[in-house]
Amino acid sequence: MLHQEADVRIRHSALVLALALIVVAPLVAQEAAKPKTVGGCPAEPAAFHTCALEKAKSFTPPKTATGKPDLQGYWRAQLSQAFSVEGVSGNEPLVGSRVMPWEIAPAMIVDPPDRKIPYQPWAVPIGRIGENHNKYIDPRTACGSGGVPRLALQDANQILQPAGDQFVLWLFEDHHVQRIIALDGRPRLGDNIKVTNGDSRGRWEGNTLVIDVNNFNGYNWFDDSGNFYTDTAHIVERLTMIDRDTIHYEVRVEDPRVYTRPWTLAWALVREKEAGFELLEEACREGERDLDRLRQAGAKFYFGDTWRGR
Amino acid sequence: MRSGFAIVVLAASLTLPATRAAGQAPASARTSDGKPNLQGIWQVLNTAAWDIQDHQARLGVPAGQGIVDGNELPYLPAALAKKRANFENRATADPETKGYLPGVPRIMYMPFPFQIFQTADQVVMVFEYDRGVRNIYTNGTPHPRGPLNWWMGDSRGRWEGNTLVVDVVYFTDQTWFDRAGNFHSDALHLVERFTPTGADHITYEVTVEDPNVFSRPWTMRMVLYRRKEPNVRVLEYDPGRLMDQEQAGR
Repeated sequence: MLHQEADVRIRHSALVLALALIVVAPLVAQEAAKPKTVGGCPAEPAAFHTCALEKAKSFTPPKTATGKPDLQGYWRAQLSQAFSVEGVSGNEPLVGSRVMPWEIAPAMIVDPPDRKIPYQPWAVPIGRIGENHNKYIDPRTACGSGGVPRLALQDANQILQPAGDQFVLWLFEDHHVQRIIALDGRPRLGDNIKVTNGDSRGRWEGNTLVIDVNNFNGYNWFDDSGNFYTDTAHIVERLTMIDRDTIHYEVRVEDPRVYTRPWTLAWALVREKEAGFELLEEACREGERDLDRLRQAGAKFYFGDTWRGR
Repeated sequence: MRSGFAIVVLAASLTLPATRAAGQAPASARTSDGKPNLQGIWQVLNTAAWDIQDHQARLGVPAGQGIVDGNELPYLPAALAKKRANFENRATADPETKGYLPGVPRIMYMPFPFQIFQTADQVVMVFEYDRGVRNIYTNGTPHPRGPLNWWMGDSRGRWEGNTLVVDVVYFTDQTWFDRAGNFHSDALHLVERFTPTGADHITYEVTVEDPNVFSRPWTMRMVLYRRKEPNVRVLEYDPGRLMDQEQAGR
């Protein structure tokens, strides 16, 4: 429990200091362990993705009392990074940043083969360390939710399969976010209701949890680079265990307004095994001291201004 | 009497036809591990978020009968002065006006729905208001070692017959009980009792203890009503972001 107390104190201090420190903690945790394999697959997103799809065919996951694949527990992302879903090359100037240096890393995009977001021409200068990154406060920094799927690459999360099998609950420590995934076959929300983490409807396909997400407000980025989607995005997530401690997490993004074709991300969720582990409260807005100063200094908050009306 | 009532309730829920629309499975009275099933979407129908005691109407604020047993809050003398000052300055002094988490118990009676989920180890409450979440651990674990100051406290629960009893500690002093300026210190200690009284109602009782502010413990009590509209779900009300949007002219 000392770990938890110290953790809480560190987070309280971090919130009062410069905003960049909010993002450092999970990166430090990821740097500490750079594995060569994850779940018995290579430790690179595209190689992991291909290997995991194959492994999933022959792995029978543990089951709940009602016979559903049991994805429950605490999980942390591996093979992911927060800087850019397109990867970070050695040429990237931010790798030399003195405030928060970016790390060289492969892309988390596994399709298309060039591993870049297939943006429509109008969208290219907005994402990719473009207009979003340069002119707007990162919505996650402004104490918004990280959004889908960015939430699943920051900090610890917990999957619960509550009694009755009507819902899966996915809890994220980051900014106390929760995602309620309805398995009861309900219809989509009407188009005029838009929510930050979208409206999630799930189903089991064999051992895979498939989650259909719509009704985004589009106020989120994929990463620190400002890669983005809009309120017409349709995201499909697939979660499949490939061994008892590893989930293959695949995300397919579709938004014909923004991209020339659908594209896919993948990374791993690895079980957090610390005894007595629990998600702690992370009250971002309540501890945040810098937003007003940033606002007074002229920084703009991101509410999709760059894509609205396109 | 108690067990007889429970049997009647159980029989009623087993024999009722499934009349709900798609997206709302009939709720069973017990989960498969034999515990009372509190799952579903719930909401209060009172005005406690404005004022937990009896109050007449003010412009924008409906009249309401209080939820406090005896309608009296046993403030210590210095604390009573602070309450009065809070009330005078409530439009700006209420931390809820800054878009902060309203804390516990106030989040339970904000006029927004919330959803209860249950596993063997946890009861999780997910609130439309400000993405609030309460993790109530029912796995026999104790409170972690303090001191800790959390907006929503640390909740450990156990089942006593038909009732979920929850012990909550480790608060900040930054939340109020209502818009009327009723407040607490970081020594706040709550004992909550959730008791289903039928398929669609839960009696929710909170005993409040705070020796820095009150001369004795006191209790509030209210009904949680099940939201029964077809396809009802918890949406989103993020006051902080909405305020940021307003300021940005969006």
